[in-house]
Amino acid sequence: MSMQPVPVGSADYNAVLEWLYREAALLDSGEFEAWFALLAPDIAYEMPTRQSVYQKDGDGYQEDFGFYAENHSSLETRVKRLGTEQAWAEQPGSRTRHFVSNLLLQKDGEGAFHATTSFMVTRIRSDLPYDLFTGERRDVLRPDGGGYLLARRTILFDQTVLKSYNLSIFL
Amino acid sequence: MADTVDIAALVDEEAGHVSRRIYADPAVYEAEQEGLFRRAWGFLAHESEVPEPGDYVERQLAGENVLVIHGKDGVIRAFLNSCRHRGMRLCRADKGNASFLRCPYHGWSYSPEGELVSVFAEELYDAEHLDKSELGLIKVTQVDSYKGFIFGCWSEETPALDEYLGDMRFYLDILVGRTPGGVEVMGPPQCWEVHTNWKFATDNFTGDNFHLYTAHGSIAELGLLPPDPMALSFGNLIQAQRGHVLHIVPGPPIPEAEYFGLPMELRPVIEETLSEPQREIAKGHAFSVGTVFPNLSFMQVMVQGDLRSPPTPFLSFRIWQPTGPTTTKVWSWLFVEKEASEEYRKATYEAYVRTFGPSGIFEQDDMENWEECTRMNKGAIAQRYNLHHGMALQVPPDPDFPGPGKAWPGSYGERTQLCFYGEWKRWLTQEEPWA
Ligand code: FES
Ligand SMILES: [Fe+2]
Repeated sequence: MSMQPVPVGSADYNAVLEWLYREAALLDSGEFEAWFALLAPDIAYEMPTRQSVYQKDGDGYQEDFGFYAENHSSLETRVKRLGTEQAWAEQPGSRTRHFVSNLLLQKDGEGAFHATTSFMVTRIRSDLPYDLFTGERRDVLRPDGGGYLLARRTILFDQTVLKSYNLSIFL
Repeated sequence: MADTVDIAALVDEEAGHVSRRIYADPAVYEAEQEGLFRRAWGFLAHESEVPEPGDYVERQLAGENVLVIHGKDGVIRAFLNSCRHRGMRLCRADKGNASFLRCPYHGWSYSPEGELVSVFAEELYDAEHLDKSELGLIKVTQVDSYKGFIFGCWSEETPALDEYLGDMRFYLDILVGRTPGGVEVMGPPQCWEVHTNWKFATDNFTGDNFHLYTAHGSIAELGLLPPDPMALSFGNLIQAQRGHVLHIVPGPPIPEAEYFGLPMELRPVIEETLSEPQREIAKGHAFSVGTVFPNLSFMQVMVQGDLRSPPTPFLSFRIWQPTGPTTTKVWSWLFVEKEASEEYRKATYEAYVRTFGPSGIFEQDDMENWEECTRMNKGAIAQRYNLHHGMALQVPPDPDFPGPGKAWPGSYGERTQLCFYGEWKRWLTQEEPWA
């Protein structure tokens, strides 16, 4: 598939960046149903686990094993679960901040945008210290009406051992 | 000198009382490290994680880093991952393959079989000050495997693995020895850290089937559990031997839910491989959760990973590794039959990751409970009041149960948890707890 770089500051670049900011705002304000409406019906949302390995053995990401292996239906299930009264991992809810930056953008032959970003997500639950989640997102955004639908998100997480007791949030 | 603590007084199996101190007290933690974890058999790795000569993984045994490595002679060994010269961590990756192990500090090199092969500037030592045959890697005192599950033990007095597992092998076979090929890992373990005492996780996996409808109330609200909270109260609580316990629970009366819901194409070979009493147990049940004493737990359950997928089984083993009085590192592996189809592998993987592990829609709520229980049990006032384990203790064991050990009818109860705590107490207080 031929990939065209999309220059920083171009109209497409700004539109995708704004979409990412708006998505982060929905997640941070707990508007999960509105967030879910941004997902394409064929979405693949994945977060491989990582191992610490010598450089000759690659980057340590496990292509076939992760912390998330989601499709549209399982993300819908997670969002509906967050709306129940007994989803204790989010009752009371986490306070999160999604910081999304370093956007590099390409456009494929079918008009979909391939966005690589760095993320840093902070989470606080109860009166506990910060949980910190950092890594890279590789997203595919498909134009839809005036906006985009998220068709693919691969979360390349920096930790090998998750230093948080659960992953009840979306990254 | 650690604060002395009267361990025997902390667990009263007859009354069903457990002191809150066992989940928070540093002196109890120290006594556990010495009396339990440096003496009991601990799970290290599965053979399918190190299939080729030179393959290794780094694991922990009683809190110390251990290298599990497949020798050129085909033998899988386990060593302290520490150089004999200054103690440097020898292998610094979670996994890999090495034809020899060269220390990053001064270059002492070891074979995958653990011998010290060469030393930097060897000509500068005289024979009296360097005997390489005495300076091989420090071996884990006992290493043995059961159906591909490699265990290690730091004590030579502890009985051999077969005897230690004893009648638990009958039940383990139903999970990991039900096809000729047995099981293999799917990927590396998921690892995460929880601010809890390891015994809260273990307590949950020694037969707590009755937390389902409250701790996992969200799943019931979604309609992914049967509406009647007593629907999953059937089956048995089983003490296979000493502290090795499990529960087995029947699913709905449909063929799909027999044999833990395993794929139909595997059923003929399962029926052929299991013995008659094992077959009877496997056929009649959809769920089993249990613990190989002290901290290797397993779950063989059927779950819907989402609102539209059919109930799908998975088999996970996990270690609850204590890293401090109130901190635990979890290692969770997913297993699958060697004979399984690609289609089933995908389905069982998705069912597992969506429901268990740190992001699972079930398990994320478990950790919430275990962390908050641990925090609440730290206080001196809280510790004046014991915790309660009294459910269904009056139920007598079933004399006609087809498997070994004791089986109490009904899977809601606290009998097996008390078996675990009783055994825990013996290891912390007795010279020969296995006697
Ligand atoms: S510490 Fe290993 S060679 Fe010196
Ligand atoms: Fe649970």
